[in-house]
Amino acid sequence: MEQGSSSEEDCFGLLNQFHHVLQSDPLIDEVGFIHPSQFTLLDKEDGLSNQNKPLPYNGTSRNFWNQDHKLGISTDILIQLCKDAKHVFLAALEEYKSHGNACNESQIMNIESEVMKHSQAVLLLSSDFGTAWNARKLILSKTDQLSAFTEELRLSGLILSNSPKSEPTWSHRRWIIKMISRRFSTPQEIITKESKLVESIGERSKMNYRAWYHRCWLVSYMAIGQVLHELNKSKRWAALHVTDSSCFHYRRRLMLRILESVNVKGSNAYDKTEAHKIWMEELDWNKELVERYVGREALWLHRRFLSLNWIMYFACNHSSETGLSIITNEEVAIFIDNEIHLLESSMIVPDTKFEDFQAQALYAAVYMLWLPKNIPELWRMLEEKLGTEKLKCVLSTIAQERPLFLQHLVNV
Amino acid sequence: MSSTSSNQMGQLVADKHVRYILMAEKKKESFESVVMDHLRMNGAYWGLTTLDLLDKLGTVSEDEVVSWIMTCQHESGGFAGNVGHDPHILYTLSAVQILALFDKINILDVGKVSSYVAGLQNKDGSFSGDMWGEIDTRFSYIAICCLSILKTLDKINVEKAVDYIVSCKNLDGGFGCTPGAESHAGQIFCCVGALALTGSLHRVDKDLLGWWLCERQGKSGGLNGRPEKLPDVCYSWWVLSSLIMIDRVHWIDKEKLVKFILDCQDLDNGGISDRPDDAVDIFHTYFGVAGLSLLEYPGVKAIDPAYALPVDVVNRIIFTK
Ligand SMILES: [Zn+2]
Repeated sequence: MEQGSSSEEDCFGLLNQFHHVLQSDPLIDEVGFIHPSQFTLLDKEDGLSNQNKPLPYNGTSRNFWNQDHKLGISTDILIQLCKDAKHVFLAALEEYKSHGNACNESQIMNIESEVMKHSQAVLLLSSDFGTAWNARKLILSKTDQLSAFTEELRLSGLILSNSPKSEPTWSHRRWIIKMISRRFSTPQEIITKESKLVESIGERSKMNYRAWYHRCWLVSYMAIGQVLHELNKSKRWAALHVTDSSCFHYRRRLMLRILESVNVKGSNAYDKTEAHKIWMEELDWNKELVERYVGREALWLHRRFLSLNWIMYFACNHSSETGLSIITNEEVAIFIDNEIHLLESSMIVPDTKFEDFQAQALYAAVYMLWLPKNIPELWRMLEEKLGTEKLKCVLSTIAQERPLFLQHLVNV
Repeated sequence: MSSTSSNQMGQLVADKHVRYILMAEKKKESFESVVMDHLRMNGAYWGLTTLDLLDKLGTVSEDEVVSWIMTCQHESGGFAGNVGHDPHILYTLSAVQILALFDKINILDVGKVSSYVAGLQNKDGSFSGDMWGEIDTRFSYIAICCLSILKTLDKINVEKAVDYIVSCKNLDGGFGCTPGAESHAGQIFCCVGALALTGSLHRVDKDLLGWWLCERQGKSGGLNGRPEKLPDVCYSWWVLSSLIMIDRVHWIDKEKLVKFILDCQDLDNGGISDRPDDAVDIFHTYFGVAGLSLLEYPGVKAIDPAYALPVDVVNRIIFTK
């Protein structure tokens, strides 16, 4: 790639302008694509608190807005800017790959910094551009400076502010963390920071599978103390976002991790009585949420997990010790009584807010039948405790919504 | 499905979808198309498979497509999403699938492509997407599907690959991208598909998984990919094909699903969207038509739920040589 010729500058004027903005504010923490009509609005808002001069105009229209470390890119220039950035990046990458070995060290460093600069521009505009992430990995894997990796975490965080679902960006973050932990040990602050990042992104981007997967992935790097801390910390968020099944899955991941720790010896071991307490607390808390937020599927699915594990792990272990079956287990009997109580109150459908209560009745009915699907011995206990009338009621609730599925249940 | 009910719910505007796909390839001036060009190989697979399902593959220039695909192949044997980009297993499968559509597998250096894919298997049986190491059950499916088409499954450790997939099973019967990850319809399709292709479906709890999958159907008839999400045409395919593979498709209301997909069509300009009244794209157009194919909609060729290729193409692969 040739640089400095005047025609190149004309051609890539927008791109140069973009680089200039990025260089002049290295602390940008949020980026977005905005319609130029919003620029004036943003200026007005900003004018109240800040008298700084706005960025230079490009002819009659403005291309970038940058105040308080927030960067707006005009939607009018996106196509051209993105095309230019890709073109220049791919050219730089080709030069790097073909001439890399034949150059001296300072030349290599020059080409590398070109690739880094242009891949950054490309990724801010097109976050799923895998080849640009790969080029950065290639160059970063040669460095032994922790600061280069933490800077990379900052850049990918910035890109996630605009593209919270970008899988290559999340994946790149995991690669950085793996590199850091391989070369410098895993600082617990990084794990804590990552967890916070997912929570704040989850706030703006609902039910974001990729973000929550990232948080689940972190669990394998956590010591038991941090697992307990995370369980505690994510509780408030979950209660405020009861439809976000991914957050409840994160809690399930943490809770299973606690169960694993009950079975081990050593510094990561965890007391079974304490684990039992955590389970009971989660069940009680879930019941509160189920009663407060009527008809929420994510809450009922969470309850399936909690109840199944409680019976299998905490109640059944007792019965195998004493040689009793689940059916004659006193604790299980009391547990099922309570669940039937919850079922009964959930199946009352008042006239107001009809749909939510109808959904609540369905989820409760399906929940009740899901347990014996997993623990067949429960069938007889449930039949006895419910009685024919109530069982019919449960089945007809399901029949209204999912008649074809019910046929299978009845056959069982 | 009776003909009266299909009249009530409107028809598949197949010709318009064909035109939409052929036009989409020529329109390159939107921001969406600029940010998509790194995955052009996937786009080509979606578009061309849709054309084949509608029996219109003959309208594209085979030579042009095939020679473009070959310019995306790397030294390593893997394919990139477009010329000049890095190879990835995601694009390698699409390239192989497109060549299968055109009955052109024979132009490949099968050994080379297979070695690239097999080289991505890890010790625990999982697969990375490329040399940078991200692991995902999607890549397990892609590897297994790709090698099944090339008839070189013996290049990998199938037993370990299957064990790894099974280790990603959750208590709800579903599968996630790695062990302990949340169940997701797209990941379930990949895991069930991989298990189907390796003859390992007995490792799935079919009733439990079928239970979770059929709960994805909402009042509109469309299916979502996870609890509390909106129904979406692409998830309709992933859930539906999984239900077919585990033989539980009779647990959902198929007629309502047909209606949902048909309601997502742009009746004027062609194309199918994620849900009614949204903007159409090529991805959802493919999944919509493929979904209708699984639902045996008249005028659409049958698709194989595991290979995600038309059944006649799969038969050709299986019965040649
Ligand atoms: Zn979709």
